[in-house]
Amino acid sequence: MMKRKLKIYLPFVNAGIQEVATYRVNWIFFMLGNAIACFVSYFIWAAVYSSGGEESMNGFTMPQMVVYIVLMFLTSTIIASDGAYVVGEEIRDGTIATRLIKPVSYNATFLFQELGNKLPTEIAIAVPMIIVVEIARTVMSGEVQFNALNLLLYILSCVAAYLINFYFNICFGFLAFVIKYLWGANMMKNCIIGFLSGTVIPLSFLPDALERVFLFLPFASLNYTPVMIYMGKYSGAELCYYLGLQVFWVLFFFGLSKGLWKASVKRLTVQGG
Amino acid sequence: MIYVDKLRKEFKKTIKDPGLKGSIKSLFKPKSEKVVAVSDISFEVPEGEILGFIGPNGAGKSTVIKMLTGILTPTSGTCTINGKNPTENRKSYVKEIGVVFGQRTQLWWDLPLRETYGVLKEIYEVPEDSYKKRMAFLNEVLELDSFITSPVRTLSLGQRMRADIAASLLHSPKVLFLDEPTIGLDVVVKDNIRKAIEYINRQEKTTVILTTHDLADIELLANRIVMIDKGSNVFDGTIGELKTKYGQIRELCFETDSPNAAQALGYEKHFGFGEDELSLEAEGKTVKVRFNSSVVPVSDMLSYTLDKINVSDISVKDADIEEIIRRLYKQGVE
Repeated sequence: MMKRKLKIYLPFVNAGIQEVATYRVNWIFFMLGNAIACFVSYFIWAAVYSSGGEESMNGFTMPQMVVYIVLMFLTSTIIASDGAYVVGEEIRDGTIATRLIKPVSYNATFLFQELGNKLPTEIAIAVPMIIVVEIARTVMSGEVQFNALNLLLYILSCVAAYLINFYFNICFGFLAFVIKYLWGANMMKNCIIGFLSGTVIPLSFLPDALERVFLFLPFASLNYTPVMIYMGKYSGAELCYYLGLQVFWVLFFFGLSKGLWKASVKRLTVQGG
Repeated sequence: MIYVDKLRKEFKKTIKDPGLKGSIKSLFKPKSEKVVAVSDISFEVPEGEILGFIGPNGAGKSTVIKMLTGILTPTSGTCTINGKNPTENRKSYVKEIGVVFGQRTQLWWDLPLRETYGVLKEIYEVPEDSYKKRMAFLNEVLELDSFITSPVRTLSLGQRMRADIAASLLHSPKVLFLDEPTIGLDVVVKDNIRKAIEYINRQEKTTVILTTHDLADIELLANRIVMIDKGSNVFDGTIGELKTKYGQIRELCFETDSPNAAQALGYEKHFGFGEDELSLEAEGKTVKVRFNSSVVPVSDMLSYTLDKINVSDISVKDADIEEIIRRLYKQGVE
C-alpha cells in the first residue's frame, strides 16, 4: 500500500525538481534576498549588543546570536512552504479543476511536488551553511561545539516543522474558497508568523508569560524548536516535550486540512470558463 | 452508461456597485444574490455514443460538465456514470474517465511533454507494456512524435490540444468528456482532432460527451444532440430529428428586374403563411425568401414565383444546421 502510494506520488517529486531547474535565476534572486535580510538582522543585533554592554542577553551571547540568526535563516528556508499561495492561486484561476480530475489526493500532490521543488536547493544550501556555522562557532569560542546527535535531531525536527508549515499553509490556502484572493491575507500571515515563530526576535527575549504562550502555539514549532535543538538549548524531558509538541501539531494540521478540504470542496465554484 | 436526472446548480454571486465607491461599499456590506447556473437538466447517454452537448455562451454547459466530472457538487439532482456518483468517490470515479478542458491544460507546463505522460502512467497505474502500446497508438492517431520532447509551454495551441487529448486517453477511459476541444484551432488541426475522436470512439466504444461551438464538430461526430439554454434542456434528439423538427425552412433565392417584386408577389396572402413561417429579404435585384416548406411545398412556391414575375436566376437552399441553431439560440425555443 505504502509502496504503491509512493509510486504514484514520486513522479511529483521528480516533476518538482525539474520545475526548479527551469527557473534557476528566480531561485538565485530569492536566496540573495534572504541573505540580505540575514545580514540586516546581524547588524541590528551587533548594534544592540555593543550598546547594551552585557555579554549575554536572555541566555544568548553575541556569538550565539550570530549562530541563531544564521540558523534561523537556514531553517526558514528549509521549512518554507508555498502552499497557501499556490492553493489560493489554483482556486482563484480555476486550475484546481485539472487537479481534481486526477485520481490522486489533492494535498498529497502538492506536498510531493513541493518536496521536489525544495530538496535540491535545501541540500545545496544546508550543507555549506552548516559547515560555515560550525567553523565560525569553533573559531569564536575556541573549542569544537559540533554535536552529531543535535544535528540529527535538528533534521528530524525540521521535517516535522516543514509538515506543520505545509499543512498549515494548505489550510490557510483553502480560505480562498471563501475570500477568492489571498494576497493580502498572505502578507499579513507571513508577518505574524515571523514574529510568533521567533524569526525576528528569539522568544526568550519576550516577557515570561508571553513566551510561554508563544512556545505552545504551532508557530514556535516551525523555526524556533529546530534552531534551539541544534544549539543544544533543549535536552532530556524538555527536548522530548518540544518534539512531541511538533508531532502533535503535524497531526492537528493534517487532520484539519483533510476536514477543511472535505467541507470546502463542496463550495467550490470554478472561476472562469 | 450516463444518467443525468434533474441536475441543478446554484451559485452565490457577490454583486458590487460600479466604481471605487461601490468597491468600498461592498467591502463593508457585501451583497450577494443567488444565480441558478443549471436549473433542471436530464438526459441519458448509452455506451459508445458521441453526444453533442451544445448551447449558447453562458447556457450552463461547462457547469454541467464540471458536475459530471466530479469537480462541482450539484445543488440537487443526481448523475450516475458507469454506476458511480462522481462527487461521492472522486478518486475511484475519475480513474474511469478522461477529461479535456479546451481552455485549460492538464499538462505539466514547464516539463517536456513526455514527462507528463510518465507522471500520468504512475497516477493511473498503467502497466509498462500497455503504456508503451498505448503511447504508440496515441502517437499514431494524434501525431505527437514531433514535439514530445519539447516543454509544454513552447507548444502551439494545436499541438497542446492534441497532447491534452492524448493525456486524457492514456488510461483507456470508458467515458471521455471534451469541453470545447476544437476552440481556437485551424481547419486542418480541427479535422485531425475530429478524426482521432471518431477513431477512438469506434475502436474502443468510448462514450464521448462533447461540447463545442463549432457545429461542424457536431455534424461530423455526434450521434445525438442535447441542447440547453439558460440552464435547462431545449432539445434532445438526433441531428435528423433536429432538422425535421425545426428544419423545414427552405430558402428561395432569385434575381429579378421587377421593382418591389417581393411585395408584388404577396406570398402571405396567396398561401396564407403564418407568423414565423415566412421572411423576406430584398437587396437590389436579389430577393431571399425563407419559408416553411411543410406549409407550402417547394414546387408550389417555385411555380407561383416563376408565373408571377420575370426571374433571371433562381435557387432553393436546404436549411443547414447552423441556420437552425442560430434561430434556436436567438429566440430560445418555442
